Amino acid sequence: MRNLLNFLFNYGYWILFLLLEIISFMLLFRFNSYQGSVGFTSANWVAGHIYTASANVSSFFKLHTINTQLTQRNIELQAENKALRETLQTLMPDSTLDALSHSLDKLGYTAYPCQVINNSLNRPDNYITLNKGAADGVKPEMGVVDGNGIIGIIYLTSEHYSLAISLLNSKSSISCKFKQNDYFGYLKWKGRDSQYAYLEDLPRHALFQKGDTIVTSGHSAVFPKDLMVGTVDSISDSRDGLSYLLRIRLSTDFANLNDAVIISNKHQKEQHTLEEKAIQEQ
Amino acid sequence: MIITFIRRFGWFWLLVFVQALILNNIHLFGYATPFLYAYLILTFDANMSRYSLLLWGFALGLAVDIFSNTPGVNAAATTLLAFTRPSLLRLFTPRDSAEDFSPGIRTMGISPFIRYITFALIIHQTALVMLVTFSFADPLTMLLKVVAGVFITGLCILGLEWGRK
Repeated sequence: MRNLLNFLFNYGYWILFLLLEIISFMLLFRFNSYQGSVGFTSANWVAGHIYTASANVSSFFKLHTINTQLTQRNIELQAENKALRETLQTLMPDSTLDALSHSLDKLGYTAYPCQVINNSLNRPDNYITLNKGAADGVKPEMGVVDGNGIIGIIYLTSEHYSLAISLLNSKSSISCKFKQNDYFGYLKWKGRDSQYAYLEDLPRHALFQKGDTIVTSGHSAVFPKDLMVGTVDSISDSRDGLSYLLRIRLSTDFANLNDAVIISNKHQKEQHTLEEKAIQEQ
Repeated sequence: MIITFIRRFGWFWLLVFVQALILNNIHLFGYATPFLYAYLILTFDANMSRYSLLLWGFALGLAVDIFSNTPGVNAAATTLLAFTRPSLLRLFTPRDSAEDFSPGIRTMGISPFIRYITFALIIHQTALVMLVTFSFADPLTMLLKVVAGVFITGLCILGLEWGRK
């Protein structure tokens, strides 16, 4: 007995060490599948508040670049607006604007503006913290975009914050297609450079060339169709030679994220249940 | 007693915030991120009990994890660092030093201190990089990350030591 007590007294720290390491590894492994783990991320209440304060400061310093971008975008939109207005006037003479806004609503998407309060670029799996959460109506699996293109997909939500899987994450896989035709593939990120991602599983007979624009396909119901993703930077073959592997230059500047929009599809649940039902009945 | 605790507590949060808000955003050459928070574990008093070292290490790692969305990674690595620290310290301290001292340039001398933090940081960085990557597919990149991390973290720790002198 004495020996045992002596042993425990002298080597008990081994047990504590192993216990703490086991807890760490449990956190590490469960994070991937465990909804409750949101408390151990920057989407929890305390970390969220601190990052909000920090984002407020840093967004102030980004204002200059963002202003230039906005002006640029404004000019483009004004030109586009003018062109569209002219076409509209020639095509349909009266009371068509009502019909137009009505059809947008029919598409069934709602937008929640939000701010990026934490973001990383250089890890193998990057996440983005946003300052809108469950209380604002944000739910997992909603899409996140900014003015330049898509950013990621909501993964976990707490009361007032949410954590999104960035495009720059090995778990991210987004269905994308060419703007000019409907050949589609899956957009994956392979680490390292935050400006480039890869489009996989594109069929051999697809027609395209360098510099073509890639947009979302709308298949997944997370993103509406035709949101900007990037442009084709270089073309190569997949490892098995059965499809193309395209290097895509992303249109979103992940190093400079500030304002974003969370998109929710009203019909997403309906599409999910339908698809699952179809799989079950096979 | 209580004053030491408050001092440690203050350092704890200071290092966590500096890590979360500033250092996590640094990636020199795409590889090197300073993990300055290890400084807290490295400079605890030499006669501190192994139990409280382990608990401080775990808590510190977990706090950094929560801010960097890497649950478990820093906690595991820092617990390992806290576990190996007493042996490392015994290895690198001069024989004639007092029982109770806080490791630093002043107490240990510059060259033993550098050797001590280098070895400790190699352990910490290797664990960190391995847990973050979680595959041996690219050993060269991992090695580069470890070396770069040890170098830049070491520089930051030395800078902080000199600043406190």
